[in-house]
Amino acid sequence: MFHSRTLLASGVIGSWLALTATAAEPVDYLREIKPILKERCFACHGALKQQSKLRLDTGASIRQGGDSGPAVVGGKQASNPLIERITSNDASIRMPSEGKPLTAEQIALIKTWIEQGALSPDNEQPEQDPREHWAFKKPVRPAVPEISNSKSQISNLNSDLQNAVDAFVLEKLAERDLTSRPRAEKHVLLRRVYLDLIGLPPTREELQAFLADDSPSAYETVVDRLLRDPRYGERWARHWMDLWRYSDWYGRRHVPDVWNSAPQIWRWRDWIVRSLNADHGYDRMIREMLAADEVCPEDDDAAVATGYLIRNWYALNPNDSMRSTVEHTGKAFLGLTFNCAHCHDHKYDPISQDDYFRLRAFFEPISIRQDRVPGEADPGPFEEYSYGKLRKIQRLGAVRIFDKTPDAPTWFYTGGDERNRVKDRGSIPPGVPQFLSGAGFQLASVSSPDTTIPLPTRAFYPGLKPAIIESLLNDARTAITTTEAELVAASLIVEQRSTRLAAAAAKLLAVRSELVSLEARIAADRAKFGETPNADVPALARTASRLEREAAVRRAESNVLTHENAIAIAEAKPTTDMNRAKEADAATKALAAAKPILEKARAATNDATSETYSPLGPTYPKTSTGRRKMLAEWITHRDNPLTARVAVNHIWSHHFHQPLVSTVTDFGRNGAKPTHPELLDWLAVEFMDSGWSMKHLHRLIVTSTAYRRVSSVGWDSIPTSSAAATTSNAPTGRDGIPTYAADPENKLLWRMNTGRMEAEVVRDSLLYTAGKLDPKIGGQELENNEALTTFRRSLYYSVFPEQGGKSAMGELFDAPDALECYRRSRSIVPQQALALTNSDLVHQLSTALAADSTETDDKQFVIACFERILTRTPSARELEICLEALTKPATAPRASLVRALLNHNDFVTIR
Amino acid sequence: MNHPNRRAFLADFGMGFTGLTLGAMLAEDGITKAADPSAVTPHLPPRAKSVIWVFLSGGYSHVETFDPKPALNQYAGMTFDKTPFENPLKSPLHNKRFRSVLAEEINIRDVYPTIYPMQVGWRKHGDSGIEMTDWWPHLAGQVDELCFVRNMWTTDNDHAAENQIHTGRHRLDEQQPSLGAWAHYGLGTLNENLPKFAVLGGPTRSDTRLSIDSLYLGPQHAGVPLALDPKNPLPFGQRHANQSLDEQRNEYDLINKLNLLTAVEYPEDQELQARIRAYELAFRMQAAVPEAIDFSQETEATNKLYGIDSEATKPAGQHLLAARRLVERGVRFVQVFPTRYGSWDSHQKLKENHTRLCATIDRPVAGLIQDLKQRGLLDDTLVVFCTEFGRTPGLELRGGGKDGRDHHPNGFTIWMAGAGLKKGYVHGATDELGYHALGEGHYVTDLHATVLHLLGLNNRRLHIPGRKRLEIDDGRVIDDILA
Repeated sequence: MFHSRTLLASGVIGSWLALTATAAEPVDYLREIKPILKERCFACHGALKQQSKLRLDTGASIRQGGDSGPAVVGGKQASNPLIERITSNDASIRMPSEGKPLTAEQIALIKTWIEQGALSPDNEQPEQDPREHWAFKKPVRPAVPEISNSKSQISNLNSDLQNAVDAFVLEKLAERDLTSRPRAEKHVLLRRVYLDLIGLPPTREELQAFLADDSPSAYETVVDRLLRDPRYGERWARHWMDLWRYSDWYGRRHVPDVWNSAPQIWRWRDWIVRSLNADHGYDRMIREMLAADEVCPEDDDAAVATGYLIRNWYALNPNDSMRSTVEHTGKAFLGLTFNCAHCHDHKYDPISQDDYFRLRAFFEPISIRQDRVPGEADPGPFEEYSYGKLRKIQRLGAVRIFDKTPDAPTWFYTGGDERNRVKDRGSIPPGVPQFLSGAGFQLASVSSPDTTIPLPTRAFYPGLKPAIIESLLNDARTAITTTEAELVAASLIVEQRSTRLAAAAAKLLAVRSELVSLEARIAADRAKFGETPNADVPALARTASRLEREAAVRRAESNVLTHENAIAIAEAKPTTDMNRAKEADAATKALAAAKPILEKARAATNDATSETYSPLGPTYPKTSTGRRKMLAEWITHRDNPLTARVAVNHIWSHHFHQPLVSTVTDFGRNGAKPTHPELLDWLAVEFMDSGWSMKHLHRLIVTSTAYRRVSSVGWDSIPTSSAAATTSNAPTGRDGIPTYAADPENKLLWRMNTGRMEAEVVRDSLLYTAGKLDPKIGGQELENNEALTTFRRSLYYSVFPEQGGKSAMGELFDAPDALECYRRSRSIVPQQALALTNSDLVHQLSTALAADSTETDDKQFVIACFERILTRTPSARELEICLEALTKPATAPRASLVRALLNHNDFVTIR
Repeated sequence: MNHPNRRAFLADFGMGFTGLTLGAMLAEDGITKAADPSAVTPHLPPRAKSVIWVFLSGGYSHVETFDPKPALNQYAGMTFDKTPFENPLKSPLHNKRFRSVLAEEINIRDVYPTIYPMQVGWRKHGDSGIEMTDWWPHLAGQVDELCFVRNMWTTDNDHAAENQIHTGRHRLDEQQPSLGAWAHYGLGTLNENLPKFAVLGGPTRSDTRLSIDSLYLGPQHAGVPLALDPKNPLPFGQRHANQSLDEQRNEYDLINKLNLLTAVEYPEDQELQARIRAYELAFRMQAAVPEAIDFSQETEATNKLYGIDSEATKPAGQHLLAARRLVERGVRFVQVFPTRYGSWDSHQKLKENHTRLCATIDRPVAGLIQDLKQRGLLDDTLVVFCTEFGRTPGLELRGGGKDGRDHHPNGFTIWMAGAGLKKGYVHGATDELGYHALGEGHYVTDLHATVLHLLGLNNRRLHIPGRKRLEIDDGRVIDDILA
């Protein structure tokens, strides 16, 4: 078998001999063989696919074989096709067909196993049908477990069992005989829930008020207040912006040249904040982000939600935009790694390469349009990319998605390279993976014409919107007011009075007739699109046409007189004036150009029958394909097994600093199992039943006892070399195993997890604690290099995946990577300490904070600082240390003390 | 993990961590990443401790630097199909090693079939007799230390190739951490007061951040750009003007005492312990980083060696001297951008451009080699000298061009020197016209694999679960150049 192998083969033989020589003991199929097959073979020879009718997921099916007979025959001399295939030198025959060959050690193990008889357990179960995977079946609300005192070591059932969340958590703890930790003290809980819900710590006054409130619902009152606080929307928007890859424009920032995202994308961010504060359902938010233009085509506030898609825009190559859209729509909403099916069928999930392109096809027709925002100047049409031409930073207008090219083909291509188009397959129609389209949950036939959505006039012809009409009229009226003032100003000047007055008067005539013309065009357009009953449309059109041409004449006349005036003014200058000739020359040329225009404009007024006039703005396609609406409805369908679970997992993760499913973007077969599957399902159903209300979910979670526990493990739960150290107070299970040792990672939530402020919360809390945070909500992003000198909330500063894309603080405290950030990292590096001790900002804030205190007594000062900065009073020892520090010689001892507290571990840590 | 009991724990803290090793305390767990453990087991015996990676942005012409081609002079002005050689444009390699970022519909980049002669003379140098052009008089003196790879190739025909040579990924594929970040991830620290992965003179532009980025490895593995200003080399690295050193020390003391008290309440909190440690490091880093880039103790002879005595060579000289000082102090990976973004990009006036640029870097980089050698540092330091792609053997005709070459991903030359490498050696070649890298050639990840190998790391083992690496990411070590 090895005869044809070269140098490498001798190594194979060598290690194989070495292994078999020592492997007198039997090879353990389940432990040593099956994992190899699972990793390298199951994708094509398992439950997902059965290439050549061969399955390798049980010993029995291996021995039984497929089309070419048994894959393996146990025993020493037998012929074994499996071995031949995995050791072949011929790459077209060798298995696995993709990736590297099996290692020599793996091959040797398999050979030994065969020689020993290819044994496997009788009761071995084949790989589960992929459709049976837990996350692919729709969640059904499980019964809330009955918890009683007898079931576990629950000391105080009433306080431990706040709501269903606790029942599920306690059930798991009871199963393992683990003991939970007590509730946190009030001040700890208050700081925790403030940072969690609004991203800012409580003030000293809020702390004192809460400590003084003895009512049983004191905490719930705080929770309700925080959920109503508009700062909630700002706090949680940042979480969702991570997932939805919010990025301000980029490409070549240093030029600047806009290649990615859009300069108006911040309107999408403001939509997120607004939607969260209004508690719009998560389902509605998804529908608006994917298809606001189809779902609510006349709602301009919602239209900017499609910023979700615009963020993926890449000027140079639409294929790149499509890849981002497919990958992240899969990951963010469905917890599926569609991107793995880009080059080949998914290795773990039943997502075929076709499915990848079918998902892409939903987005194929899209393009971006740029609508005028009422009250702002008109930005003009969206600037498409043209090679070698810089795309400027356009701040005006709102960008939104629309279906521009309904018949744009979606080409299937191979190898992840769009140059390898398989054109004979034709355009791939939109669709979703079959395994996710069960009964009662079918995607409607997307290719049928009845899915096409006719758009209302104001959606495809935004010029007709009342607010836009108002803006147009305002522009025209303002022009008149300005020009009237110019006429008055001209009359006050003695020099060249006649030409000046003639020019100014002509201009006033022009702007006045432009207003008349505009009004006529508005009337004609309103009639044309059926907004005025019983109107004589052709007559109105003729009037509009005539008035517009007349206005053009007035404008042309005005131009001629303006240039004549310019000549007169230039020629009146002394001949020694350097500019005289230049100005006169320029004006003369302009005049020469203006005269034929006037002639032409006059000639154009002769046609009395014309019904042609300029539109009030651009016209877009009158229909939309309905594809994205359909996709959004499928994603947010109650029977979609993934959407609610994935969202609940993210929300849970932000509250507990740890998700229920650790692979937040992969709920597929290769993803992690939930730590609390029933809890996840119960919450998912509850979430959908509440109308996908995030606030409902937040309230449920933060009022649970699980959320209110201390995060410390307690001294005595730490296992020591001396077992005697364990006391009866330790959180131990019944059999005496300390809870900490049984679940050190706190997967089962016997205590609260410790969190760390995200980069934004660090900065916001520093500013807020010092009373400097500017509470203004929303608006165009500020440049992040101003984040240390201006004091808006951090989510309003620019972020983008290029150098300079994070603020200096953000860079150090793990601000999100704008390319992808489904979970934040939590690094601890010395530069963080340098930023918090050396930055001018922190010095300013600590000086301000120290000066802010009216306490003359040092002790009272220290207490006040602790309460204000750390939301607690100091311990006796802490007080002692701080008072001692204040006695050391220093230029500003109090500011230094404040700074030390801002640098305290428990300032950035959420206990 | 074995936890100390309360008394032992307090005693350890009182004595300043004497009883606890950082590595034991800071097992990396989930997404919680603490400061790096100092003891990391390499995959294989390392040959190099540190890397100085010198990147020349814009794409220097391989045929006018380290891969001279007499045939270009012989057939100057002819089209490829008129030469006796196989027409390189017809080779299947052409498409394999050439992928435009631009969608096909808008890609307007042409290929240029008319041969443009070499713009400079060339000679064999040193005992090794390796050919170099006349633009490298100083470096030619060190040729017997260098190891050239003349059959490099990449796939991007535009400047995102600058990121590609650092990340191994084409702009249109999912992005990956940079080589420096992988090295940072895989290697232990040699001097915890300095960043392990330092960047000098870069990233050169906003869109080249990927060249030093760590992406999913976490921000602590990204390159730390240092300014060549001993007063303020890194952000927030300087004590505030309002504070004396004593005052600052007292403040750090207070922070430390308060945190230690909290550590008693939360003995299992490894992040707290790491934070206490980070504050100690921060205090020392404040002094260590400025010292590392303070040249005041360097001799005049050293300054001269690096060309710091002349205006033309001073910028590159300072960057390379700083690089030497950093590796001397244990920095693992120093990425140097000695010339500005795109400066080597010679669509026009190639001769003028390369003459000037070579003169800015030739003496400094030759000085670096000599200096590392005389200090015994070259034995465990690897120097890499590279660019993002070569330049077309054909004359670029765009915009009426008459004296330049276009981007050329199909073949280019890099060189390395130092730890674990052959000296005075040439590996691989391009065809007679300098068009295609011959044989399999080396995609940029082969260079990564080789660098990591010399550092004692197996690139195939630097994988993060759940993060897909393409076959092409797993470069092969260029065994032939290993000593």
